[in-house]
Amino acid sequence: MTLEHAHGRLVVWCSLLIGLLFELMPVPDVVMPFRPDWLLLIMIYWAMALPHRYNILTAFVIGTLLDVLLGAHLGIRSLAYSLVIYLIVINFQRLRTFPVLQQSVIIGLVLCCYHLIVFWVQFLLDRPPFSFELLLPALSGMILWRWIYWVLRRLRRRYKVK
Amino acid sequence: MTPIFARSVSHQFRLTLAVILSVALLFANKKLEPAREALASVLSPMQYVATAPGNLFDWGAENLASLSMLKKQNQELLRQQVMMSERLQRFEHLRQENQRLRALLGSPLHMDAKKMVAEVVEVASDPFHQFVVINHGSNNGVFVGQPVVDAQGVVGQVVEVNALTSRVLLISDPKQGIPVRITRNDVRVVANGTGELDQLDLRYVAKSTDIKVGDLLVTSGLGNRFPEGYPVARVITINRDDGQNYLKVTAQPMAALDRIRYLLLIWPDHPPTQEPEASAATTTEDVSQ
Repeated sequence: MTLEHAHGRLVVWCSLLIGLLFELMPVPDVVMPFRPDWLLLIMIYWAMALPHRYNILTAFVIGTLLDVLLGAHLGIRSLAYSLVIYLIVINFQRLRTFPVLQQSVIIGLVLCCYHLIVFWVQFLLDRPPFSFELLLPALSGMILWRWIYWVLRRLRRRYKVK
Repeated sequence: MTPIFARSVSHQFRLTLAVILSVALLFANKKLEPAREALASVLSPMQYVATAPGNLFDWGAENLASLSMLKKQNQELLRQQVMMSERLQRFEHLRQENQRLRALLGSPLHMDAKKMVAEVVEVASDPFHQFVVINHGSNNGVFVGQPVVDAQGVVGQVVEVNALTSRVLLISDPKQGIPVRITRNDVRVVANGTGELDQLDLRYVAKSTDIKVGDLLVTSGLGNRFPEGYPVARVITINRDDGQNYLKVTAQPMAALDRIRYLLLIWPDHPPTQEPEASAATTTEDVSQ
């Protein structure tokens, strides 16, 4: 039992690590504005599937790591990740029963929330100009969600992550 | 199965905890610098891993380059090298003359500084700032505030150092201002970043100032951050609006900030060591001035 648990934990953290690598990976300038938030999408999946194990404090840690790796002001993404995962965790039962398409739309809105929170905190710090380009990753994340969901669900069933 | 109702209370508690911690992080950002540096050092191998696939493609493309392309490139480089060494001959003569004249005037001599070539590690950064990450860190003696230049001009300064990599703030970042002077008449101004890679703003330039389109701006050495005499930008537009108190002057950075690959780190207070790499770096640097 404990071995299985350890196994599951390894699978979750490995997927989060891969998400973090995707966040750092250089992409061509054309694709740059559409770059999806891989890490957040993966975190959302785990919070939805196993909300009693991976929730707000996990998101806080992940957000802080991302802040450090991006060289941003500490605390911005830890705050945004915690708030977004809170939204997921309190609604996980409803979200799970939605059909994939409806789920994608909700995820898109949640991603918009995330980008607005990041912008808002950044704005309090040093007033960058707002542009709607900031919300493009929400669009690509919305489109990608069903595949991320599918891959991670297979992973979870295969390795019996609980 | 876990109970649902007991958990929902604790989620609120967790959220409160996370929010309080985040706000604490936001306020203590400056004080947490050592902790951040340590964490970044531990995580910096990830930056290398993240760039590995891209590097692999580059490597493949280089290996597949055709013979004729390599020949062409080689010829071009040889031609450039001849041109450069000719300029270098004249430069050496001028340098000696300059030193003699300065000695006659009793002014302090300009010393060469230690330099090191660094490569940009292409990783994504905070989209609200203009950073590049380079592949040298405190293991190589890089320090916060260190000036960074490329073959054409000033690129920026180091703002964050960890063991293996460091982060350079470009001169085009809105937070960055750099003291410059116009080479033509030694007028001093400050060039501010605008957030656009190809544009700097000169602020608070009086309307009577003698400034023209095409003027070259070089570092003035004031502020003790950037050593004197490195090219920064060229003036491209001057807007004389009667309703404004100052001129609106924009300049274009000399360094191609959108496609920098190799950079030079400068140690202003260290004399150069006699290494072949260092001396090669010195020559390319000096000729470009």
